Amino acid sequence: MSQRVKLGKLWDIYGTLCILLVIVVLFSALSPTYFTRPENIVQIFLQSSITIMIALGEFFPILIAGIDLSVGSVLALTGMMTAQLMVAGFDPTLAVLIGGIGGGLTLGAINGLLVNFTGLHPFIITLGTNAIFRGVTMIISGASPVFGFSYDFVNTVTGFVGFVPVPVIFALSFAAVLWFFTAKTRLGRNIYAVGGNKESAFYSGIDVKLHTLIVFMISGLCAGLAGVLSIARLGAAEPAAGTGFETYAIAAVIIGGTSFFGGKGRIPSVVIGGLIIGTINNGLNILRVPTFYQLVVMGGLIISAVALDRLIARMR
Amino acid sequence: MSNLAPNAAGPAGTEAVAPIVRMVGIEKHFNTIPVLKGVNLDIRPGEVHVLLGENGAGKSTLMKILTGIHEPTGGEIVLDGVSHPLVTPRQASDAGISIIYQELSVINELSALENLFVGRLPVKRRLGIPVVDWKLMEAEARSIVDRLGLVGLDLFKPVGEMPIAHRQIIEIAKSLMKNVRVLVMDEPTSSLTSVETERLFALVRQLRGEGTAILFISHKLDEVREIGDSFSVLKDGVSTGHGRIADTTNDDLVRMMVGRVVKQRFLAEGTIDRTSMPVLKVENVTSADRRRVRDVSFEVHHGEVLGFAGLVGSGRTDLMNCLFGAERRAGGKIILNGQDITPDNPVEAVKSGMAYLTENRRQTGFTPNFTIEGNIAVTKSVKDAPLRGTWGLVDRKAERAVAEEQRRRLSIRCAGIDQSILELSGGNQQKVLVGKWMSIGPSVIIFDEPTRGIDVGAKSQIHEIIRALANAGKAVIMVSSELPEILAVCDRVAVFRNGRIMDILDGATATEESILSVAMRDGK
Repeated sequence: MSQRVKLGKLWDIYGTLCILLVIVVLFSALSPTYFTRPENIVQIFLQSSITIMIALGEFFPILIAGIDLSVGSVLALTGMMTAQLMVAGFDPTLAVLIGGIGGGLTLGAINGLLVNFTGLHPFIITLGTNAIFRGVTMIISGASPVFGFSYDFVNTVTGFVGFVPVPVIFALSFAAVLWFFTAKTRLGRNIYAVGGNKESAFYSGIDVKLHTLIVFMISGLCAGLAGVLSIARLGAAEPAAGTGFETYAIAAVIIGGTSFFGGKGRIPSVVIGGLIIGTINNGLNILRVPTFYQLVVMGGLIISAVALDRLIARMR
Repeated sequence: MSNLAPNAAGPAGTEAVAPIVRMVGIEKHFNTIPVLKGVNLDIRPGEVHVLLGENGAGKSTLMKILTGIHEPTGGEIVLDGVSHPLVTPRQASDAGISIIYQELSVINELSALENLFVGRLPVKRRLGIPVVDWKLMEAEARSIVDRLGLVGLDLFKPVGEMPIAHRQIIEIAKSLMKNVRVLVMDEPTSSLTSVETERLFALVRQLRGEGTAILFISHKLDEVREIGDSFSVLKDGVSTGHGRIADTTNDDLVRMMVGRVVKQRFLAEGTIDRTSMPVLKVENVTSADRRRVRDVSFEVHHGEVLGFAGLVGSGRTDLMNCLFGAERRAGGKIILNGQDITPDNPVEAVKSGMAYLTENRRQTGFTPNFTIEGNIAVTKSVKDAPLRGTWGLVDRKAERAVAEEQRRRLSIRCAGIDQSILELSGGNQQKVLVGKWMSIGPSVIIFDEPTRGIDVGAKSQIHEIIRALANAGKAVIMVSSELPEILAVCDRVAVFRNGRIMDILDGATATEESILSVAMRDGK
């Protein structure tokens, strides 16, 4: 209809990309020699891959107007389980299947079931399970890191295909699968309906509890896979791994234009949201900004990015 | 009663009283789309003026211009003889214009008292510290609430715990405290029972007697006739008539609103065979709490629409929720064409061919983030998909075809099926939901308050659809608090009270009086 509506629709799709471009241009200007080097671009993708993985999962609880605060602990616990299985002599593939994938799905299912049975807001439930999962990680590891797993595993997961790191390929292909899932499958669309209005969805014949469970299982699965990536990158399973990662995941999802009120959001924008977080971290490192200041800048950028998004949304 | 020239004087007999507000030649465009095209409206003291028109005719926009929320694109507003190109919310409020929206704006968490004084709590000084003067508030509030007939109301109870009728009166009291001269009421009776409506009307008459000008927006012709003195009709942003209610027939009013004659009765044409097997048989349905729905049994036969009448809160919606599996039951069976289909949840209900158009579009009806297409498609997709509606891919092409078909059949007024459902008028949203349920090809279809807040034209269309479904052999149930609607559509009327069917009356011979006398009969 009007110009404004068109602008708004374009912003929905390309807005996050614009923010990324602005940030890239900014850092390129500040660090013309190093930031734009191809190795550094690959590095940014590599550093973003874990954030993207977790954010992909976090997208779903936020899409149904919930949240998952436990992703950081799920990452740590699944990583720890996978590492302990490998150290105990399990084949790495089997260890990843049980510890990473099985563990992630199970922890997600615990979140989902608790949300369904108690009827409490996911914020409360996952705030609790975040502490519980972290505690269990500490208990099973005796609060010390686990290492000494096979080189094969580390080399495969941290290797390259051509010049592209495996974690990047992994995160991007997983994103592609989830994009297809959200855009083309009935289950995906049902989740959007639940996000739009739970009661309407219920009366339309959608099993809201089943979908809530699935949503948290997807979130757990993504965090579990991120846990596997994380232990391979570090070469060890740290009991404190992933602390505070939920902030990055939520930031990536929200910067990616996903509505906190549910029902609105796109997977590709979440990937770009994750890249924005990665780019900012990388750029500030290159500029040798101390970590404490990085936190300040990061927080400020999250708020500005979302404020800008809302401002443009309101112009419609 | 045909179109009047712009600037025409008010209806005969009232010229003596000068209008408080005159809106002359009001125009309004939204993004170059004209919504109002030269509308005139005179509001006089001591008169109930009814504003009629279908949804989307421009009534709300006109009211928003009157209260200063929208700026008009053209025309003038004359307040007490002074012409303004537009009014600001402040000017409107200073002129004593107050509006009571359909969605009440009282704050449910606050007490009645706090609501009445919200934003201007009176203070007194205690030890030099300003504190809220509750005594003064209570005295002032009590006098005004008493005047409105709510003697003995607990002013300290949160209004969220009060019946809607009381909240509405508190809203009116709020306007009165601001010395209102023009009170605009937007469909004030849409969620009131008939007793509450009567009480509201008494109040409106009292205010009129005190010289207040009332602008009353309604879709219900019977109540318009009961309460209104004069009227204006809007259709597609144009004034299509005004005059005295007493001089005009309902048919004339409808013609001005819709532009055509609308059928009023939709009963079955032949006789209904009640000896053969019923399409739907409901046996001993009781809600989990054994209170709101108690041991309800009934049958719906081929070609029949069964109505459920009763007071608000008598448990009709609870019964429908029990039938659909949306609420837990203590017991009972639902038998469709001889087969037990008793659903434990809406998923099973949809799978076995039940459809349920719920009472509240916004809360339990549509999916706000979806387009028209998405809203129509989602339930059919669940019904067709294995694994509790989760398995499989979305077939956009097929779904678009289904949505297009529903749009045509139900003549949903929209820019296209890709339009967001939020952009449609209430009537068209309702038609989208009807389309959603039609698309699953249901065998049982429950309509709960299907035409609440919907204009005359869309209303008769929905009534026609209901009748067509019954004729096609579906079991059709309709819950309505509007007795004229029950009488217009239902072949039999189950009168509900305290969770039970008190009696089932024959629709052809039932009257509003006979239904009400059963609905309000004492004893259990």
